[in-house]
Amino acid sequence: MSNAVSPATIPLTVVGGFLGTGKTSLITHWLQQARGQRIAVLVNDFGELNIDAELLSTRNSDTIALSNGCVCCQIGGDLSLALLQVLNNPDPFDAIVIEASGVSDPWPIAQIALADKRLSLHGVLVVVDVQALRQHIGDPLLQDSLMRQLRAADLLVANKTDLCDPRELQDCIHWLRQTLGPVPCVNSQHGQLPLTLLQSDWMAEPLTDSLSAHVCTQHCNHDHAGEHHHAANHGALFISDCRSPESVFHTDWLRKQLKQTPTWVMRLKGWVRTHEHGWSEIQFAGRHASIRRARHVPAQARVLTISQCSSHSSQALRNWLDTVFEEREMSP
Amino acid sequence: MRPTPAPITIYVARDILTMNPMQASATHVAVRDGRILGVGDLAELALWGEYTLDTRFADCVLLPGLIEGHCHLKEGGMWDMEYLGWFDRCNPWGQTVKGLHSMEAVVQRLIEIDQRMQQSGAAPDKPLLAWGFDPIYFGNERMTVEHLDRASTTRPIVIAHANGHLMNVNSCMLHIAEIDEDIEVEGVVKFKEGPRKGHPTGELQEPAAMFLVLRHVGDAGLLSPMDETGMLNFARLANMQGVTTATDLVNTLSEADCAVLESALSKDECCVRILPAFKAFHGTHGAVQGAEHVKTMTRRNTDKLRYGLVKMMLDGSIQGFSSRMRWPGHFNGAPNGIWVTAPAQYEADFEIYHRAGLHIHTHTNGDEASLAAIDAIERVLTRAPRPDHRHTLQHAQMVDAPMFRRMASLGLCVNLFANHLWYWGDQHYEMTMGPDRANRLDACGSALAANVPLAIHSDAPVTPLGPLFTAWCAANRITPKGRVLGEKERLSVMQALHAITLGAAWTLKMDHEIGSIETGKRADFCVLRDHPLTLGAEKLKDARVWGTVLGGQVFPAHTHTT
Repeated sequence: MSNAVSPATIPLTVVGGFLGTGKTSLITHWLQQARGQRIAVLVNDFGELNIDAELLSTRNSDTIALSNGCVCCQIGGDLSLALLQVLNNPDPFDAIVIEASGVSDPWPIAQIALADKRLSLHGVLVVVDVQALRQHIGDPLLQDSLMRQLRAADLLVANKTDLCDPRELQDCIHWLRQTLGPVPCVNSQHGQLPLTLLQSDWMAEPLTDSLSAHVCTQHCNHDHAGEHHHAANHGALFISDCRSPESVFHTDWLRKQLKQTPTWVMRLKGWVRTHEHGWSEIQFAGRHASIRRARHVPAQARVLTISQCSSHSSQALRNWLDTVFEEREMSP
Repeated sequence: MRPTPAPITIYVARDILTMNPMQASATHVAVRDGRILGVGDLAELALWGEYTLDTRFADCVLLPGLIEGHCHLKEGGMWDMEYLGWFDRCNPWGQTVKGLHSMEAVVQRLIEIDQRMQQSGAAPDKPLLAWGFDPIYFGNERMTVEHLDRASTTRPIVIAHANGHLMNVNSCMLHIAEIDEDIEVEGVVKFKEGPRKGHPTGELQEPAAMFLVLRHVGDAGLLSPMDETGMLNFARLANMQGVTTATDLVNTLSEADCAVLESALSKDECCVRILPAFKAFHGTHGAVQGAEHVKTMTRRNTDKLRYGLVKMMLDGSIQGFSSRMRWPGHFNGAPNGIWVTAPAQYEADFEIYHRAGLHIHTHTNGDEASLAAIDAIERVLTRAPRPDHRHTLQHAQMVDAPMFRRMASLGLCVNLFANHLWYWGDQHYEMTMGPDRANRLDACGSALAANVPLAIHSDAPVTPLGPLFTAWCAANRITPKGRVLGEKERLSVMQALHAITLGAAWTLKMDHEIGSIETGKRADFCVLRDHPLTLGAEKLKDARVWGTVLGGQVFPAHTHTT
């Protein structure tokens, strides 16, 4: 094995959820707001994809290229082939998103990112139609398939919150929590999630307590008179933390800590040294953690964390990270 | 002046089993313009005028050309790779590749193949790809790198399992694919003990793990599309099995795939009629465009190539534990399988293809999937009645009598996977569904009792192409361990022969052209050296095939072994 610097891994995100929950809207939103990130998206078909005409660059039967550098490919029955096409692109993408079909289990797809050293798993998002969830789950033909999907989620997206009353939403979230245990859950309308969730390098953003990446669209209710995106204050959705732990960790110990990550931590990634592998890449999303030998030698140890924002979470996040990553005497 | 009619050839045969119940048997058949001019005795046929008497079939028995209603052209496209299955299998050159009954036999075969590759000057790193390996027959013994490295440590070896969900590779391939002890996914199986503890065994399960290998060798065969060589190989296999018409029951109908079909079938030596079925298990918005595409393609139909079928798919496979089963579920307690298409989307897409006038074949394996299809089709037909649609459930392996009665009332046809009775009958009895349901697996008798038009199939390359073998399965319902699965569901020899000729033709809407030997139909014959009625049910599979006649052109089978 040479020590030559090999390219960093490409983060892969899998978007699951039953038919009609809003997977495609979510993906379309990301594509349109990519802001310099080159995202490759694999979808089941182009039918529902509604991309602004001015963003369209070229289109053939299986691929749509956007003027912002993103591409969207139709899976066409063979995910392996579609993914190979994207991976073999001479100009590597910054992120890859795969839309799982409405009845499939997203987890087997997500495992590709754990297995392939050129990829890293950015997480499994499962989109839920908060209004229709009860009816979907009540269908005896579908119940087990939908439960498999939900159980694979690193992040639940409670979508279409604008279509249900607060009570319904509360019941739905309660049911999800009761049934699935502590999995992070964000609310959304029209599948609009901040692009922050996709970004592979949060340091590209100014490190503040507000990484809110809300981008206004025609669906927002606030005043667009200034025709500017900055005017609106939707409040911070996420907070982040970056630190450089100098310790050398044991992978078993670290894995155990990552398994006990508080629910409001949505994602954690970075490079630390471990006794087993030397420089190691660590990844955590929702319910999946991985630690593996780094493919390149980082300049320094670094752990980036993003978590949901609430009145107490900022301090709680720091406290938790302190207990895991601060200097310590490592017992063998 | 009237043009001179084309010459008439009259074939004489030991017997002609016409499958026309109004004239079940004859000694002579007259052929003109590639079609059947008449059937009867010589004196009768001579009334048509001048003829040439062809006696080469005088000792043979003629059947209508056999029809495989559910197979895939890939049957001919597998042979760039090495066959490592449990059962003997005939290759396109008429040689029988012996089945391998122990892990040691598999290793020895691989050593021979590697040596052959070396001698033929193949690059030392050219991958050795194999297919058809099925550990279900090996009990608890698993294949590992320790087996495969004995064949080669320098040449990548990839063995795809028969079920499509697993593969085994050697250490060399593991190294190329960067599969090592660091990879933490369930699908990369690792040694649990011994000196290699924690290192991959070389067994890769499910898409993620297999993807690592396909990335490197996918182009070399496992993911490669159908080409003309593969099609010609398919035609050779069909010819050896007496098949003159076959489906390709999942085809993208892309320009590239259609070009291969059209180019290969324009050649005389590609002696088979093909009905490709459009792959209609797509995203949620593909149906309108798909239906339009298939309708457009039918304008390119020829005598030998018929577009117009649509293939949909609801669930997985029974032996892979991925079919959708009703209560009481899997016999061994495994969880219920998967939907390939959500029932609601199936119904919506089905309606679009149905309203477009197309002919839909639906893959359903488990009984819950079959029932979901029947329910959906009943609602669609209530909204949009259409005479003589002949929509067909394919496999439908667990359909019971009440479902068959509903299918009959809806005008549905069935094509049952009779080869399963032999190939996985014991596994179904012992593991997947237990005795009761295994005894009505592929319930041919119940289908006929309910008056559901019946075909039977091989799903080649899942099992080998060979309708006479399939007929034997349906007529005997015997397993390798000697069980008879549901004696009362057996077909008579004539019923079984009907299911691989006129019965299959009906499910393809081709019964007016092929499927029986009677005037006006295409001169497609299966030429047998043995009389199936003399052989009887027990020996039906042993009937020797001389070759075929396709549109009046004679094609002796390449059965000489080297």
